[in-house]
Amino acid sequence: MVSLNVAVIVKLEPDFSEGNVSYNSDGTLNRAETKSILGPHSAIASKAAFYAKVKHGASISVGTMGPPIADLALQQSQLICDADELHLYSDRIFAGADTLATAEVLKTGICKMEGEKIDIVFSGYRASDGETGQTGPQTAWKLHYTFLGNVIDYDVDLERRIVLAKRLIILQGFYDIVEEVEAPLPVFITVDPSYNSVFNTVSQRLAFVRYQKEANDRAQNYKKYLKVFNAQQLGVDPKFVGLPGSPTIVYKVEKIPKAKASRKAEIINWSDRDQIQKVVARMQEILGGMMIK
Amino acid sequence: MTVNPSTEEESYRHLYVVIEHEEGKPIPVSLEMLGEARRLIDNFNKKYSSNEKVVAVVLGNNVRKLCEELLFYGADAVIYADSPELQYSRNLIDTKIVSQIAINKECIVKISPDYAQLFKKPRYMFFSADNIGRHLSSTVLAELESGLASDINKLVIEDIELKHEHKTKGQGMIYAKTLEMYRPDFSGFLWTTILCLDNRNPAIEREYHPQACSIIPGVFQPLNRDVERKGIIVDYAPKLEEQDLNVKILSRKVIESAVDFDAHKAIVSFGRGIKDSPEENIKLIEELAKELDAEIGISLPISKKPFVVNEKITSTYMIPDRVIGTSGRKVNPVLYIAVGVSGAMQHIAGMKESEFVVAINPDENSPIKDECDVFIKGKMEDILPVLIEELNKQKVAMGVRK
Repeated sequence: MVSLNVAVIVKLEPDFSEGNVSYNSDGTLNRAETKSILGPHSAIASKAAFYAKVKHGASISVGTMGPPIADLALQQSQLICDADELHLYSDRIFAGADTLATAEVLKTGICKMEGEKIDIVFSGYRASDGETGQTGPQTAWKLHYTFLGNVIDYDVDLERRIVLAKRLIILQGFYDIVEEVEAPLPVFITVDPSYNSVFNTVSQRLAFVRYQKEANDRAQNYKKYLKVFNAQQLGVDPKFVGLPGSPTIVYKVEKIPKAKASRKAEIINWSDRDQIQKVVARMQEILGGMMIK
Repeated sequence: MTVNPSTEEESYRHLYVVIEHEEGKPIPVSLEMLGEARRLIDNFNKKYSSNEKVVAVVLGNNVRKLCEELLFYGADAVIYADSPELQYSRNLIDTKIVSQIAINKECIVKISPDYAQLFKKPRYMFFSADNIGRHLSSTVLAELESGLASDINKLVIEDIELKHEHKTKGQGMIYAKTLEMYRPDFSGFLWTTILCLDNRNPAIEREYHPQACSIIPGVFQPLNRDVERKGIIVDYAPKLEEQDLNVKILSRKVIESAVDFDAHKAIVSFGRGIKDSPEENIKLIEELAKELDAEIGISLPISKKPFVVNEKITSTYMIPDRVIGTSGRKVNPVLYIAVGVSGAMQHIAGMKESEFVVAINPDENSPIKDECDVFIKGKMEDILPVLIEELNKQKVAMGVRK
């Protein structure tokens, strides 16, 4: 069987789901009270990698940069994609890294993953807590991999060593486009949130069930699959990672000043039925008035 | 206090704006970026008695006419690469060419001979924060090895005094002509200012130019088109190498969204305020929308599916297509009803052009109050049934009158 090596880059993020997320009274995130989980877009990237396992028997490595507790993200990703290997890049000197310095660590880590060479790297299209989708493409560029963003569907032609992908491009103010592209391996794919894998044949569905069971077993003993690397073990130059390797700094964080009121609202209490009637009449009038035109 | 070594500083000039277009038509954010670039550079030149330029960068096929348009919208100069291979955006080849243009001295000789001799790289660079520009900005800045701030909605140029453990080794230093890049965070209530600064600490000394950012569509005002505005257009012949063209576009289809805000006069949108009983509340919102023949919109947090409701509701409503705001659509219906939407600035930017706005919210202090014409104070569980009932009654009454 022709082999396929796949990697996933994931991130531990605050859990924004209701009941887990906590906000301060001023509307900002209460980080201390909010739990952390595998980011939702990282979960989608893991799902995309799992497709390669079910369909092509790909071997999967998952990597993340973060503090020791970030291994939770690796475990949750393994549960989704049945990863064969988990990488945690963790060192105090990585702290405070911007996207370029993070990409440097991830690039170096991916080069250390099992298999001769990784054919496809997946990442989520952005993190939900700030990082705005630069890390993926910057890692791709440093790896010299062809970058394909906003991928909603993909397949691999193992014979020809190419990826066929559908990409969603939203041109704000114009229209949306779905583009079909093909690119030779290796590629780096960021997965659009609308990605969904479909398994059509019986053999795929059987493989799906088998790997899913394996994923459950493995995730329970995820430490067996985990390798932790510090800066020295990775062999990164300290000048290119963490704060020294970050061109950008956060200069200040402030509350966004309240904009000047653009409208003067008439305030109505819900229990005032007369007022509510008037509002409804006004709504009808506005909408009806337009209809005559 | 140490100031920049001045010769070094002379190597970085001008503000480059990477233009996005579809078949030669600029997409709105491209013109918005030019407008903001013009305002910033005009102030910059006045403040520093200099003559730096707004340089638009365009890749495409038959884009010469577009270049003239960009001058009308505020560019001093346009550098363009024209080739059938550049008809549609492809990250790899686009990154190579934009990066080549950014460090190309010959182009600058034509545009700004005074500053050409020492020119190494642009001082600043703008990209659009959309599906193409987000990625292109990332890869171009990885290639140029400099810093990038994304999703920016405010820009200021200042001389900044800074003491930083790494950047200045704890010494107080002045970073002249620094671009302050303001990014609203995911909650919409915090602004983070990001700076891209050289490392002046001798142990890790490194220059970081250009200072680059991607800009949120719909934030800045474009200039009025002025055909009297003149400028220089430079034709850049790109080096196209076979291996940079290995992504093949097999097909390209324009798709219609299932959500069509423009086809409805009214929009009912909801936000995190549905949280007490999401499923029941969404049903009420559906009913209200039906009465008004309204399309249903959501605020950004809802698209992250923060509630567990049945699969059909999730897949129908908690989707990016319905998001109104800077991360989604800009709408301007006749009637906009915001249900349980707090009114983060990103959302407001998407709906402020609506003609008549009704907000339903229990909290009078929420920012949406300053953005609506009628504020109904109370819980949606109480208000929505009353509105639906009244709408029904009045419809019947009107029907009778006919």
